[in-house]
Amino acid sequence: MKVSLFITCLGDVFYPGVGKDVVEILERQGCEVEFPDAQTCCGQPAYNSGYHKEAKKAAKHMIKTFDSAEYVVAPSGSCAAMFREYEHLLEDDPAWKERARELREKTYEFTQFLVRVLKVESTGAVLHANATYHSSCHMSRLLRETEAPFRLLSNVEGLTLHELPNKNDCCGFGGTFAVKMGAISEQMVEEKVEHVEETGAEILIGADSGCLMNIGGRLQRGGKPVKIMHIAQVLNSRE
Amino acid sequence: MAKGTVQNQDAFLQNIADKLGRERRSEGVKRPQYKHSPQHDILRGATIKEMVEVLKEQCLAIHTDVKESSKADLENVLEEVMKEYGADKAVAWDDPRFTEYGLESFLQRPNMTIWGSGPDEDNIRITEQAEAGITFADYTLAESGTVVLMNGGGRGQSVSLLPTYYIAIIPYSTIVPRITQAAGEIHRRVEKGERIPSCINFISGPSNSADIEMNLVVGVHGPVRACYILVDDM
Amino acid sequence: MPMKIGERSFDNRVKQGIDNTFMRDAVSSAQARFQSNKAKAEEQLGHWEEWRELSEEIRAHTLENLDFYLEQLSENVTKNGGHVFFASTGEEANDYVKKIAQEKKAKKVIKAKSMVTEEISMNEAFESVGCEVIESDLGEYILQLDDHDPPSHIVTPALHKNKEQIRETFANLKGYEKTSKPEELAQFAREQLREEFLTADIGVTGCNFAVAESGSVALVTNEGNARLSTTIPKTHIAVMGMERIVPTWEELEVLVTMLCRSAVGQKLTSYVTGLSGPREEGDLDGPEEFHLVIVDNGRSNILGTAFQSALHCIRCAACINVCPVYRHVGGHSYGSIYPGPIGAVLTPLLEGYDDHKDLPYASSLCAACTDACPVKIPLHELLIEHRKVITEQEKMTTLSERFAMKGFGMLASSPALFHMAEQAAPAMMSPFTKNGKIESGPGPLKDWTNVRDFPVPEKESFRKWFQNRGKEES
Ligand code: SF4
Repeated sequence: MKVSLFITCLGDVFYPGVGKDVVEILERQGCEVEFPDAQTCCGQPAYNSGYHKEAKKAAKHMIKTFDSAEYVVAPSGSCAAMFREYEHLLEDDPAWKERARELREKTYEFTQFLVRVLKVESTGAVLHANATYHSSCHMSRLLRETEAPFRLLSNVEGLTLHELPNKNDCCGFGGTFAVKMGAISEQMVEEKVEHVEETGAEILIGADSGCLMNIGGRLQRGGKPVKIMHIAQVLNSRE
Repeated sequence: MAKGTVQNQDAFLQNIADKLGRERRSEGVKRPQYKHSPQHDILRGATIKEMVEVLKEQCLAIHTDVKESSKADLENVLEEVMKEYGADKAVAWDDPRFTEYGLESFLQRPNMTIWGSGPDEDNIRITEQAEAGITFADYTLAESGTVVLMNGGGRGQSVSLLPTYYIAIIPYSTIVPRITQAAGEIHRRVEKGERIPSCINFISGPSNSADIEMNLVVGVHGPVRACYILVDDM
Repeated sequence: MPMKIGERSFDNRVKQGIDNTFMRDAVSSAQARFQSNKAKAEEQLGHWEEWRELSEEIRAHTLENLDFYLEQLSENVTKNGGHVFFASTGEEANDYVKKIAQEKKAKKVIKAKSMVTEEISMNEAFESVGCEVIESDLGEYILQLDDHDPPSHIVTPALHKNKEQIRETFANLKGYEKTSKPEELAQFAREQLREEFLTADIGVTGCNFAVAESGSVALVTNEGNARLSTTIPKTHIAVMGMERIVPTWEELEVLVTMLCRSAVGQKLTSYVTGLSGPREEGDLDGPEEFHLVIVDNGRSNILGTAFQSALHCIRCAACINVCPVYRHVGGHSYGSIYPGPIGAVLTPLLEGYDDHKDLPYASSLCAACTDACPVKIPLHELLIEHRKVITEQEKMTTLSERFAMKGFGMLASSPALFHMAEQAAPAMMSPFTKNGKIESGPGPLKDWTNVRDFPVPEKESFRKWFQNRGKEES
């Protein structure tokens, strides 16, 4: 099975290790992973800010980039959800809309792809740790994927997963929201940090680098001893 | 009843049509065939016995007292409830069902007023001073623990509202699964061109409020307690 | 009270909200309670998604044919002997009710809770012709006594107040002597208001739903004040936003089910009342005169636009009850009587962007609101739509933001430029990097690093790693 990896901006620049784990896991499952080099950004920052002309440019470019892909997999619920938004964004242009639909149908978030397409329940990972999991809003509410990460994590040997209180609450990232509405975002991420601490977990796992960067940045600023890990890193652990 | 007046209708509605980008619609609109109709599945095919159980259960949630009675015993049960509530002054609907259910002598008790037996204003004042208001239910909704009252004439809407306590007599035969059936019945009456009562109440227990720190307070502007007396009439 | 509340800027309001820890605790625990009640109610009902789809379908159909249903409603109200007034603006509505008050020589108006009358400041209109206006909803009564404190929630308007504050208000203004127990406070309000109901000349209510087929107005309440307002006074005036209508009792039933469950988690509230015109021949209570005022006040401008679904709203506040932004800043921060996600969508539509252009950005687009909405209004998408209008039509964003976004568009559609920028990132960020993290970033990053650290770009991007890996293998 051929998989085209959409690494996402954050994944490319800040968390390249996550991408390496994704590649290794997929290859171990027998996938042939390719990386379309022309890929850029899904356009979400512009889209969410109301700059839809710019977002359309990004959308069309990404549609072209992944035109020949069989499956598109991204280690981010949010960016995968943005691909699914293209149809709506390109509504006025039937030809592009159709291409957007094709892209939507073959796009999956990483854990979703493992569970729904590859029918994988366990990646054979081992990680001896107490952890908690933050579900990103876009993954659970826009992609409607609420099960896949938990199924995979439940089969990680040695991992104890503590439920995060108020687990459906947003962490306050929201892309440009974090800087545009800094005061509000601060309250939200602080609340999330308190909930993470309540679990007593030493690791916070997530499937979206944006949330992890936000919560992790706050944890770090407060000198909290909680480490953040992308779910791909956990699923590729052997400790 | 004299027809009421209408002002500014045409310009207002024309503007709506314009904004919707089409000609004004005055006829020919049909309601769609809705994709789903989950409302009809609730308690579908339930027996009266089953609905009575659901109703009783729901009354716990809505802080409503429940008594059960046979037709023959109804007067005693009513007296019992009055005693429990410490109620003496009472107002009841002018409703032939009181006689059908053998309650003539109950209506004769001292300090009992039948709605409509005094001059207009008096009715409201007397009812406001009463401790208990008593009516029959026209429909009873099992799911939500609701009595439906088709008010009008001798069936004053004040009776279920102004006294401190409200007592509803619920014949089994009035029980339906939920609001769907009562609303459906009202809809059919409207469709047939019947005039429906100018006030229809759906009452689910005593009045309450959660306006102060989200604490539920039972008994605000309407009755502070409510009792349903279920009567097996089948 | 007009729709807009207060004159302070958005940032100031937010700051004040965040600093008000009591209010935040109150909101947070109320939200938790609302959420769990609603979740239970959804589960008990079963097939929640089907119910939502049905409700959405009903609302969409009704709005698409709004002129038809309003005409039917009006026809039936008058057949029942009631009067109908179509008001294009709040002013027209207010002039009409003032005229009624004057004709009736009314001295006292008793009101049940109604958002639309707040929106158009109807209380002031009555007061201007010498009527005393008394709010009878417990929450509204508290706010009215407390020097007209604005509502902060559309279902429980005094949500931001604690019982001690309420006790004080009652004690200072009404000589209340008991404790701050909610039961005692409520009992006191009951006693205070009973006589007002009995002596009021006019009862004013809103309208949760009007039913076109029978010319009825449905009122959904728990306290019984709406019933009192429509049972005793000789004149009843119902004021409705023009979109609050359903075709028949069959649709009414569905939406009442959804409203009660979504708003307060009840199967039905204590009172659902269907009123069809004034009292009939032989009736001894109920109003002798019934007026229905149908208010547009900017709503028709929403029809036929991308925002039309905002008019599907049934004012249940479920979106407000799940909103994390609302939780932290409180209702007053929105500067509108409609707070929370629906407020952020609706307020700029009804009052324009000038005073409210920050509202569409007061959301992380987490979509909790969209998920909660019983009539499936895509609230977070409408917020994005607002942002689009603000940038593309109103051109209200800053030059630097427009410049940055233009740049983004170029980068995102040009792989070469994009790669260059990616490669430059580590070097660009290195002056700000200390101990492997960025604690004080440049430009817009400053807002980020004010509250949290920013990660340092890795020396080797994923892209590079993948390319090199390919070379090694081959
Ligand atoms: S937008 Fe939806 S959730 Fe919010 S108040 Fe309106 S109906 Fe309720």
